[in-house]
Amino acid sequence: MNRRHALRHIALISGGLALIPSCDFSSDDILAAYQKLKVKSSEKELLGAISNTIIPAGEIKGALELAVPDFILVMVNDCMEEESQSRFMKGLRAFPEFTGKEFDQLSPKEKEAKVKEGLMLEGDDTEEGKVKQDIQYFLNTTKRLTIQGYMASEYIQTEIIPYSLIPGEYNGAVLISDFQKPRING
Amino acid sequence: MANLNIKSKQERTYQAIVIGSGISGGWAAKELCDLGVKTLMLERGRNVEHIKDYPTTNMLPYEFEHRGQVPEDIKKENPVVSRCYAFREDAMHFFVKDTEHPYVQEKPFDWIRGYQVGGKSLLWARQVQRWSDFDFEGPARDGFAVDWPIRYKDLAPWYSHVEKFAGVSGNRDGLDTLPDGEFLPGYELNVMEKYFQEQLKKHYGGDRHMISARCAHIHGNADFFAQQGRALCQNRNLCQRGCPFGGYFSSNSSTIPWALKTGNLTLRPDAVVHSIIYDEEKGKASGVRIIDRLTKEMEEFYADVIFLNAAALNSNLILMNSTSSRFPNGLGNDNGLLGKYVAFHNYRAGVSGEFEGLEEYTTTGGRPTSGYFPRFRNVYKQETDFLRGYAAGFSAGRGVRPNTEGLGMDLKNSLLNPDQYGPWYVGSHMMGETIPKESNYVALDPNLKDEWGMPQLKISVEYDDNDEKMVKDYLEQMTEMFEKAGVTNIRTRDDHRAPGLDIHEMGGVRMGKDPKTSLLNAHHQLHAVPNVYVTDGASMTSTSTQNPSLTYMAFAARAAHHAVAESKK
Repeated sequence: MNRRHALRHIALISGGLALIPSCDFSSDDILAAYQKLKVKSSEKELLGAISNTIIPAGEIKGALELAVPDFILVMVNDCMEEESQSRFMKGLRAFPEFTGKEFDQLSPKEKEAKVKEGLMLEGDDTEEGKVKQDIQYFLNTTKRLTIQGYMASEYIQTEIIPYSLIPGEYNGAVLISDFQKPRING
Repeated sequence: MANLNIKSKQERTYQAIVIGSGISGGWAAKELCDLGVKTLMLERGRNVEHIKDYPTTNMLPYEFEHRGQVPEDIKKENPVVSRCYAFREDAMHFFVKDTEHPYVQEKPFDWIRGYQVGGKSLLWARQVQRWSDFDFEGPARDGFAVDWPIRYKDLAPWYSHVEKFAGVSGNRDGLDTLPDGEFLPGYELNVMEKYFQEQLKKHYGGDRHMISARCAHIHGNADFFAQQGRALCQNRNLCQRGCPFGGYFSSNSSTIPWALKTGNLTLRPDAVVHSIIYDEEKGKASGVRIIDRLTKEMEEFYADVIFLNAAALNSNLILMNSTSSRFPNGLGNDNGLLGKYVAFHNYRAGVSGEFEGLEEYTTTGGRPTSGYFPRFRNVYKQETDFLRGYAAGFSAGRGVRPNTEGLGMDLKNSLLNPDQYGPWYVGSHMMGETIPKESNYVALDPNLKDEWGMPQLKISVEYDDNDEKMVKDYLEQMTEMFEKAGVTNIRTRDDHRAPGLDIHEMGGVRMGKDPKTSLLNAHHQLHAVPNVYVTDGASMTSTSTQNPSLTYMAFAARAAHHAVAESKK
């Protein structure tokens, strides 16, 4: 149990009173668990949709089911410098305009295309160019953390590719052709 | 001082007091207790009991909130310790935070400390290479520091003694620069490392060697180590968390529980040593004054013999703070050299590269060690424009990575089925000998105190021209060896790290033959106060290139036996 689980718990039992109200007093609250980011619940939902585009559900669970968006926000909030946090949040906030219409209303193929396009954006020193850079930074950070959070999740490391605390005796000359692992179908 | 009379003086009297519970203190206590000496061990930090107090030891990667990374706020508040490679989410609790124990850096010095029972023995890199006479004879041959008062033959039986008990794995390599010891079966070098070994032989004849580094891990003879409650190393490579198997040597898993079992050891954690008490009438040390870490109250303990093993720089600090009318400048400091001639190991440089061959091979499992280059520079005679030389770590490895280029199901499937074998990665880092100099010193800050009212340590240590030349030579030589072996994409680095980050700080209370130019004699006794023994890194006359802990263990065991023999005279 960590403080975020506790905070979420408090938010649930107090009907949202534990959330810091945002300035416009709308129902789109700022999530107290990531206090440095001032991220709204709608923004977290968007982040979830993007991470689930990066690693979607199939035969094996996808990023959203494994709470990867929470992991991303924890890492950005706790393990990044202020400047990077700010670029990440700017990119996240600029993303809806970049997609044109509501990301959620795009088809999976369109979503993938948009994220792919955003990952490759190149900016410059103009206002518009800086926004492009922020979106590109945000998406690449999100992709990296999605991969990390997904692969280092309890589900993957217990049910799909079990992690062993005891890796066994060292063999310094193994022929790669000698071990064939069964293919995992995502 | 109000607390002094709560317990009678008799209750606070032991035959020996050991200050510090790290790698050398643990050995001093174990030997004294085995010899029937009632011993008090003082440790400034909290107690850490084997297994019970290793909270992260069996945690799985996903159980760490930041998957091992140290949060930014902690890094910002603690820049020094954050530069240490082992200061990660799984072991942060065993390191001293900058904010808790400030010190003064007259010149940049990264002082990495572990204040708890077991000290840094929980965190060390477990490399245990013996010294040879090429090392002990260095100062006399090359004209720096002072001559060591001991030679390899004095220490060899004690190396054997500690190796047998601690558990040291290694191969009998038959090198005169790195004497063989009492080894458990060694760890295997991998196919790439063996290839590199052959290339060295081919291009340098018998002049340069790369071996499997000897390490303090149990790799055989399990029944013997079961007596200590320890088991075979499981190749987890999670040593810095504390090992539930006792697979590597630490005070916590080995010497301290062993000493406790004799019934002769009293362990007193939370005891910040203020000073060693000097009895002017008797002309010897009579005990130790401590400040309780939690209550801040002072208390005194008494003994016939004192072992000082507080870790190199803190042993200096304690002696400097132990003043009396006989020793106004610190205990045993008649010549004014206490705190001077501090040295360290130069870890600044590294070389890495890739090897395209042997592509049909990879490795599986884990091993707790890697390759090691014993010093090959200036061994038999002076041959470069700098003094002494360097050892080097060496390892090769090969990982399989997924293709992470795509998105969606493509990405997911490649993540779940990694199949991209890169080339072999080859890496090395230097471990250079530095020359102890009077101008590299530690002293007590005249004004600043810590939370316990102890003077803060002022550290003034820096690299010199010899170190610069050595970095350059290491980079040239290692690059040449890499090239000759067919390694490509060679990258060199000199990270200009501050001294200290090597965590091999040494000296300040050096050994020597002459009381005019040294603090300790050949048996680690203060020349002027022979019932005080200093057997940790503070006693080092020169540094050589080997990771020093094994030598401290041998020092402590040897000195403990000397102290007991003296007491029977």
